[in-house]
Amino acid sequence: MTLSRRDLLKYGLHAGLLIALPRPLLADFGRGPEPIPPIQDPRVRALAERAVEAARAAGAAYADVRLTHTRIRDYRAASIRSVLDREDMVAGVRVLVDGYWGFAGSPVWSPDEMARLATEAVSHARVSSVGGVREVELVPAPPATGHWKMPVEIDPFEVSPFEIIDYLSSLAAFASKWSEWGAGQNSCSFQVQEKAFASSEGSYCTQQLYRSEGAFTITLQKDRRSVARGSLDVLTPAGLGWELYTRQPLRELILQLMEEVEEHWKLPPKPVEVGRFAAACDARTVARFADATLGRATELDRALGYEANAGGTSYLADPLSMLGTHEVGPATLTLRGNRSEPGAAATVQWDDEGVRPDDLIIIREGTLNDFQTTRESAGWLADVYARRSMPVQSHGCAGAPTALQAPLQHSPNLVLDPGSAALDFDGAIAELEQGVAIRGLGLDMDFQGMNGLGTTDRIYEVRNGRKVARIVGAGVLFRAPELWKGLQALGGRDSVRRYGMSAVKGEPAQRSYHSVSAPPAVFDQVTLIDVARKA
Amino acid sequence: MAGAESERLLTSTQCEELLRRARGFARGGGTTTIEARSWWQGELRWGRNRVSLSSDRRDIAVRVIRRVEGGEPTIVETNQIDDVSLESAVRAAERQSKLGARPGVGFGFFPKLPAYEPYSKGHIWSDATYGLSTEERGETARGMIEPAEAKGLVSAGYLEVRGATLARLGDDFPELRSAPHAHWHMPYTRWTHAHCSTTVRDATGTGSGWAGSSSYDWSAIDTTALADRAVEKCVASRNPVALEPGRYTVILEPQAVADLLEVLLRKLHQRESPESGQPGPWLLGRDEALGLWRSKLGLKVVDERITLEHDPADPLLGILMSLTEQPEPVRWIEGGILTNIGHYFDTDVRALEGRYHLRGPTGYRMSGGSTTVDEMIATTRRGLLVTRFSNIRELDGVSLLSTGLTRDGLWLIENGKVSKAVKNFRFTESPLFMLNSIEQLGEPVPVFRPARAEGAAPTPAIVPPLKVRDFSFTSLIDAV
Repeated sequence: MTLSRRDLLKYGLHAGLLIALPRPLLADFGRGPEPIPPIQDPRVRALAERAVEAARAAGAAYADVRLTHTRIRDYRAASIRSVLDREDMVAGVRVLVDGYWGFAGSPVWSPDEMARLATEAVSHARVSSVGGVREVELVPAPPATGHWKMPVEIDPFEVSPFEIIDYLSSLAAFASKWSEWGAGQNSCSFQVQEKAFASSEGSYCTQQLYRSEGAFTITLQKDRRSVARGSLDVLTPAGLGWELYTRQPLRELILQLMEEVEEHWKLPPKPVEVGRFAAACDARTVARFADATLGRATELDRALGYEANAGGTSYLADPLSMLGTHEVGPATLTLRGNRSEPGAAATVQWDDEGVRPDDLIIIREGTLNDFQTTRESAGWLADVYARRSMPVQSHGCAGAPTALQAPLQHSPNLVLDPGSAALDFDGAIAELEQGVAIRGLGLDMDFQGMNGLGTTDRIYEVRNGRKVARIVGAGVLFRAPELWKGLQALGGRDSVRRYGMSAVKGEPAQRSYHSVSAPPAVFDQVTLIDVARKA
Repeated sequence: MAGAESERLLTSTQCEELLRRARGFARGGGTTTIEARSWWQGELRWGRNRVSLSSDRRDIAVRVIRRVEGGEPTIVETNQIDDVSLESAVRAAERQSKLGARPGVGFGFFPKLPAYEPYSKGHIWSDATYGLSTEERGETARGMIEPAEAKGLVSAGYLEVRGATLARLGDDFPELRSAPHAHWHMPYTRWTHAHCSTTVRDATGTGSGWAGSSSYDWSAIDTTALADRAVEKCVASRNPVALEPGRYTVILEPQAVADLLEVLLRKLHQRESPESGQPGPWLLGRDEALGLWRSKLGLKVVDERITLEHDPADPLLGILMSLTEQPEPVRWIEGGILTNIGHYFDTDVRALEGRYHLRGPTGYRMSGGSTTVDEMIATTRRGLLVTRFSNIRELDGVSLLSTGLTRDGLWLIENGKVSKAVKNFRFTESPLFMLNSIEQLGEPVPVFRPARAEGAAPTPAIVPPLKVRDFSFTSLIDAV
């Protein structure tokens, strides 16, 4: 099924280039349908402003509008047959009337539709406001203006799909060069989104955002049976273009992965010895711990019960009294949030409320310092912020996958501060007299982000600084507060790795993406269980 | 863009016109299949006893599947339906298809595919759902919040009504067609779906109650009863005590049964897997004499009181043409015996009668009994009453051993009475074990089916409460 270089010669390079050309979609700016211009075009602005005006005229105290034009190209395998090419244009208007939100969205870009969406959204807000009073105060934010293009090196939509398939095929061919190795999953996905935002407070900004991700797995075969597998962990979702593939030494990384899988397979298997152990965890495990137990728990809407009927609430359930006092972990634990890190999955110039996100410190030296907020939710903390002499402002965490969804608070990029010593994962194992080493732990959390079960096939017994066995069928059972209190050491600056992650939230459910950076770490007293053992 | 302004959904005429228009843009021979979907959703969400968002959304999705002469089939999607957008989508698919050309490669051997008549008797459209006004949605939410607020409790919830349409027109493999309606060619179908759920917590967060329901017909959802049940469960679940993990006799409410059953339902697809020797719950083993792999079809896999079936004429189930080429009653498990697994055309159950494509279960009805939950409780010396499960994950694809959590109401039963609220547990158990350890069955009722992607088809389920012995709880979860 894959395309050979001979095919390339036969059908010509230009054929490959042709399909990368953007396809025209139409918008109606008031003079009938015309091809959609770049998002910075003043006609898009006029459309957005039409929605805002109509909403104000219908009685909205506040209104904002989003227009998005999204292109997605998925390569589900290294073949042209696997390519899925999707493009859509949508618009959504959100309004506030007497403290109640209304929202309407559709696939039509036209002045009439902008007006219809605005009045529809206002009628929704009005209906909701018939009951009790609901105070909504949007914390002030300076009006956003301008255009921002995420600085990607290679726009994946300007690369011929033929070239990308060829590249994927070459990776598979490289991995299969050795007789015992085969390539498994080999896919990638790219998105570019042009987004315009306007609000009744005078904001108008446009952005062009990219997201790229991929998956590549290899399998080790003995006697024609697959005995172990491994996957590249450097292709997780990122705010990058095609350079996600081309600017990384993927072949070297595949060789490293082979070494790791080989080492894994050669270690003698061993049944689980249930108990508590010191554990050296790799950066990916630590990133997932930070994301699932600290990131999710510090989403303010979740902590206050707005997600109770969906994903659940938070064990940090009393934000107002916990802020600045609640101890989450030892003094070495500092977790930051940002949406400005180049190449990270949640990076933007403005969030979906036109707020320029600031960098925040969520956990400062072990103490709960702040929550992830939007313009509405930041106001819920106004008193605490004032008491602690912190500015009352949104951290810019509002977002939605496209303009068709109303913005919710989603996770920013998270960064766990490294330790001061130059420690890495291998170093952490070397320092362990007796315990376990854990790689790529996957987590199942409860609905408050507190109790978790972690599973992976990469849990090793460590004795005198060396891995001596792989433990089969083991799981890690933990409670977030105890886990972090048992944090013994964090890896150094050079050991920090970044992983893109996605999260689902809300009703209707929305998927959002963010990056989490963390060093490897050593935890004390981690509980190992036999996952498949029933009571 | 035309049409979308005034109509929430594409009409049959609009769809037909759109499909023909899009097909008309195809150049260069080969085959073209166009699929058009449209959806609309009216939504209302609340938290902390106030409506947090009321919304109305709609979209269109046109999928072009194009294979030029000698090329590969490729897919391009757009949500714009004007000439220029459709034509450029078709062109893009053609360019891509040409790139994948494999001259001289045919499509191989395929037998002629069967004809079937479009099935129109299923109950899948409700004017009550499609016509539920914004005002009525707001009223409903307030009616559900009130009982909670009146008791000083905190209510969160969500209600959604949706409508969707689907049509597909294609000319793939004309040499294989025996009738206008087959596989790639789907007549215009429209359906509705409604669901509503609410979680009520006490102000200190020590108790939580949940209730939810879904149906194609909004008027079948009793929102007052849902609100009352969630409040009742919240109040009764406050200040839970910790219990030792272990094996307990459990009374699973229908929702809990359906939650765990989902792990098994997912395995009723792809009969080809066990029959090619892939490990799974239905692989029996290798038949060396015949030189083939045997599945467990025809064997008893669960308690003989269990039947899992789907009758498209069932007023609580209905069926969508998009989900089946075989709109006839199908039994997946009958009297505990595995009788059907979804399969593709080539894997034919009724080999002598013609081929058909049996997808896995899209909705189902499970057999039950006549014991009420109250009677189950009264006959239990010591056990647990479970409202629902959450965060379920399969641990082993063969035994279907899974882990997950109890959520929103767990109680200890002692000597025939509910004695106290209990802290949540993590369980480690298999749905096959559950269905083989049944003590009593109750009356099957429709359960809440979680909303899937926007515009996706519903998968209704009618499930009884069960009393099951020796259910395994492996650790304590102190989250509420």
